Amino acid sequence: MIEIKNLHAEIEGKEILSGLDLTIGNGEVHAIMGPNGAGKSTLAYILAGREDYEVTKGSIELDAEDILEMDPDERAAAGVFLAFQYPVEIPGVQMTTFLKTALNAVRKARGQEELDAIGLLKLMKSTCQKLGISDDMMKRAVNVGFSGGEKKRNEVLQMAMLEPKFAVLDETDSGLDIDALRIVADGVNALREQNRSFLVITHYQRLLDYIKPDKVHVLADGKIAKTGGPELALELEDKGYAEFTGEKAA
Amino acid sequence: MSALAKFERRYKADNADLALKDWDQLIASNAPDWVQAFRKRGHEIVVEAGLPTPKLERFKYFNLPAWLKKQELSYQSFEFEINGPTNFASVANDDFSNVPDWAQDLITAQPLGEEKYGDLMLERLSDAFFSDALIIDVPEGEQITEPLHLKIPNKENAFLCPRIIVRVGRNADFTLHEEHQATHAQWNNAIIKIIVEEGARFCHYRYNMNGDQSCFTQNTSVHVAGNATYEAFTLTAGEGLSRNQVHVELQGAEASCDVNGINLLSNAQNADTTITIEHQAPNCRSNQNYRNVVTDKATGIFQGKVHVHRVAQQTDGYQLSNSLVLSHAATMNTKPELEIYADDVKCSHGATTGRIDDEALFYLRSRGIPEEEARSILIQAFVSEVIEEISHEATSEDVIYKLSQWLSTASLTFEAR
Repeated sequence: MIEIKNLHAEIEGKEILSGLDLTIGNGEVHAIMGPNGAGKSTLAYILAGREDYEVTKGSIELDAEDILEMDPDERAAAGVFLAFQYPVEIPGVQMTTFLKTALNAVRKARGQEELDAIGLLKLMKSTCQKLGISDDMMKRAVNVGFSGGEKKRNEVLQMAMLEPKFAVLDETDSGLDIDALRIVADGVNALREQNRSFLVITHYQRLLDYIKPDKVHVLADGKIAKTGGPELALELEDKGYAEFTGEKAA
Repeated sequence: MSALAKFERRYKADNADLALKDWDQLIASNAPDWVQAFRKRGHEIVVEAGLPTPKLERFKYFNLPAWLKKQELSYQSFEFEINGPTNFASVANDDFSNVPDWAQDLITAQPLGEEKYGDLMLERLSDAFFSDALIIDVPEGEQITEPLHLKIPNKENAFLCPRIIVRVGRNADFTLHEEHQATHAQWNNAIIKIIVEEGARFCHYRYNMNGDQSCFTQNTSVHVAGNATYEAFTLTAGEGLSRNQVHVELQGAEASCDVNGINLLSNAQNADTTITIEHQAPNCRSNQNYRNVVTDKATGIFQGKVHVHRVAQQTDGYQLSNSLVLSHAATMNTKPELEIYADDVKCSHGATTGRIDDEALFYLRSRGIPEEEARSILIQAFVSEVIEEISHEATSEDVIYKLSQWLSTASLTFEAR
């Protein structure tokens, strides 16, 4: 369970989040929607521990443990995962090396046995199969030369291997055609389980046709402006965010 | 005093005598006339021009006189340590009776257009002390896959002038692997002169892992004939002061060379890489590819030049030096140069200097990889392209191992002032 209370955060003195409250229970999928510039990606980065943002007030607890003081890698070990809106290309680092290092770092921190090269390869293959990902992506450097769809699938693959308790999907639908979107959504759905919570950040309702949320929140002006069921997403698709930005609908 | 004399005096270090002080005892030995004449010529030039100082453009960041003032060195003779296919190698000293004519010609050759205050100043100092020479002569057609391993002994307070003379015969293939690991105060002023004959290949790998008390000046000159290849890779880690100077002349059509390396610089290390490639024939290819990682208070220098002569049409010249600077007190000086007199050539040069990419670092950390390890992975990735260009597989694996050792001890976190 993730509990965010009265979260205030700023970057270079400019306040982006101003009193955000959000609780996601075990096994639940929540969606955050909102206009551009509302602070959606900021929230994602703050959850993952990006140092460019300063949290000035409030708390974030994962299973009653404060994660704000943790480094990004400690958060990953504790069970936080961020699927990036723009996965970073890292030339010269092979996918297999990357996955092995990441997985073993997390396993070590969680007190689990580290995997050898063969164990990792097996796990990678079976995970790729489960998610419908071609494993020749594994022969390349991290995200280098990957299509938009491949990059997002790669995020889901990493999520599956790192087995987080709480996964944040930051605009995972951006830049994807409908087929790629379905593959990614199927991957996420395959990972839904009782002890895993999801926060799906999106600008459009479309993704939520494939990943059914339990709750939908509207983030505007740095806080949750409205909360509802899946029907709220449809309503937003219809009316836009004008109600929350004070502007007239286009 | 004329204006010219004044001008020259500015360039002359005041302590060339420190380097020359043991010369009299060497010249007293009973070497043959050509050796004595050669030593005397070197001595005269050093007496006149002195040692290179930072006032000279080509030695701007390489302060040898300052280092030398702090030392108490004496010239010493030594024995080469060689392993592997040693039947192609012989050592010449004392009476020099076993120096073949081709080697004597190569030793005593005076390069055209040599400048008094140019790159060869330290070579002339070594000429003055010409004594210990290793001659490697690989006959035509010999394909030797096992590298010849070479070490220079570790001698305290020694000024050493090793000279290596290599000829790789037509269509032959040979690999030399030098490993330098001086742990004491030592100045190794090495000369290596190489001829790669038509269709031959010479792979030249060097590890400069000398300690912080040491100075290592490497003067490499290579003649590459038509269709022949020279492949060099130098790893400079360790500490201390060093200058890796390479002059390659591509003399015949379709000759090629790769002069690559990795500089891993830490503490107060100062490492200078100075490369000149002379394209003297058409259809030749040259490649300079360097990666520099500089941390602590270390200083790196890269000056690489491609000189394309008028006859060298269809030249393919490539030069790249990328640097990662990991601390505020670390410095990287890069000077890429192209000098082109032919009109149908393809030449490129590039140089970057930067920090570790924050985006990539955060991405790795968000996957659970601790910061130090993430930095280490990104540095390995940064240098990996150059390692992939090493054609000798065991050497490239060895370089990866040495890199990981360096990464496990160096400070990789960016230290703000």
